[in-house]
Amino acid sequence: MSLINSLDLKSLITNVVGNVFDTMLSMEVESMEGQPLESNNGTQIVGSVGFAGAVLGNLNLHVNEEFACRITAAMLGMETDEIEGDEEVHDVIGELCNMICGDLKSRLCDVGLTCELSIPSITSGKEFKIESRGWDRSEHFGFRSHNHTALVAVYMKSAN
Amino acid sequence: MALKVLTVDDSKTIRMIVKKAFKQYDCAMFEAENGVEGLAMTAKEKPDLIVLDITMPVMNGIEMLERLKSEATLKDIPVIMLTAESGKDNVMQIVKMGVKDYMVKPFKGEDLIGRVEKIMKLTLKSADDGTADNGNKYFSQIEDVTVMALPLRVTRPVSVEVESKLQSKLKDMAESQHKKMILDLCKVAETNVSLIKLIISTLQRCQSAKVAVKVVASAKQGEELKSFQETGGIPVLNTIEEARAALS
Repeated sequence: MSLINSLDLKSLITNVVGNVFDTMLSMEVESMEGQPLESNNGTQIVGSVGFAGAVLGNLNLHVNEEFACRITAAMLGMETDEIEGDEEVHDVIGELCNMICGDLKSRLCDVGLTCELSIPSITSGKEFKIESRGWDRSEHFGFRSHNHTALVAVYMKSAN
Repeated sequence: MALKVLTVDDSKTIRMIVKKAFKQYDCAMFEAENGVEGLAMTAKEKPDLIVLDITMPVMNGIEMLERLKSEATLKDIPVIMLTAESGKDNVMQIVKMGVKDYMVKPFKGEDLIGRVEKIMKLTLKSADDGTADNGNKYFSQIEDVTVMALPLRVTRPVSVEVESKLQSKLKDMAESQHKKMILDLCKVAETNVSLIKLIISTLQRCQSAKVAVKVVASAKQGEELKSFQETGGIPVLNTIEEARAALS
């Protein structure tokens, strides 16, 4: 089994998402394992961080606009009506994505899959679906916090 | 004179979190978005501390640190690295480069302050400083007992503020040899997750500071606290007098 396929991605992502949401947002999240992931309603905001080196890949964090605003308010210690604009929301989602992917990158490096991270980027819009092909691993993990859901998608493949 | 703190991070979010963490201290805050700006700001302002991110566009934190260490006039400025990467190689590289400390994201502002206080003394803003908020609004004194009364609504921002004020108060109490505290919940209108977390963190901080603490709440609140696993075992008293008697 290759190093990429032997990674326990589920535990890794579940632990880091729980830790990031708890520490930065004081929000509890639970894994939606075994539950259908809800279709994307309304405007979606997707944070994305890539990694490249011995392993290539991408980690995307999908949330809807309402949850993104709640996350932003929690991160910055304010109410949602105090958010100045999209730039603030995008920066927060990008930073959360960076923290989650930073942990993934660290675990990859620890097992010898050395790689570097990209700067976070943001995509937002309505009724879009991301399809990503040609990866050794392509996995999605759903999380719920009260009435909101977040989706973490991880794609990776060996550079060789 | 205020300490000069420079935050170098491409994320406005992180710069805001760092700024908030230092809010109650007598510090002048400066910001830069990348290593190039960071070096220019460092040369201009000669900060007392640099909080430095690693992954940034234009010039990353590692390169900025290398250049900083090669400048005779700047190399002794203490640097705390902030990184989302906790891998062994990454940490070893950071440590070898002579940084004072590093923090792995996610992090809490109060944890950053804790690291800073290991390097330098932070001074609280004076009460007559117009920019300082009133930290005493949560605290009152009954003889040798400090009463910390939580407000009507405990939200996360309120929790963050209370926790930072409590940290300062516990230091004052240690200096004045006061070792008794009452956590008064009677004004709180809603028992929510923020309140539960704040109660737990308050009790833990008091325990660490060797301060005896009693919780005062209404009978209804007491029942609600029992329904949470985290607070179910905490003894609750109904009046300040009962709590004072229990502490004596």
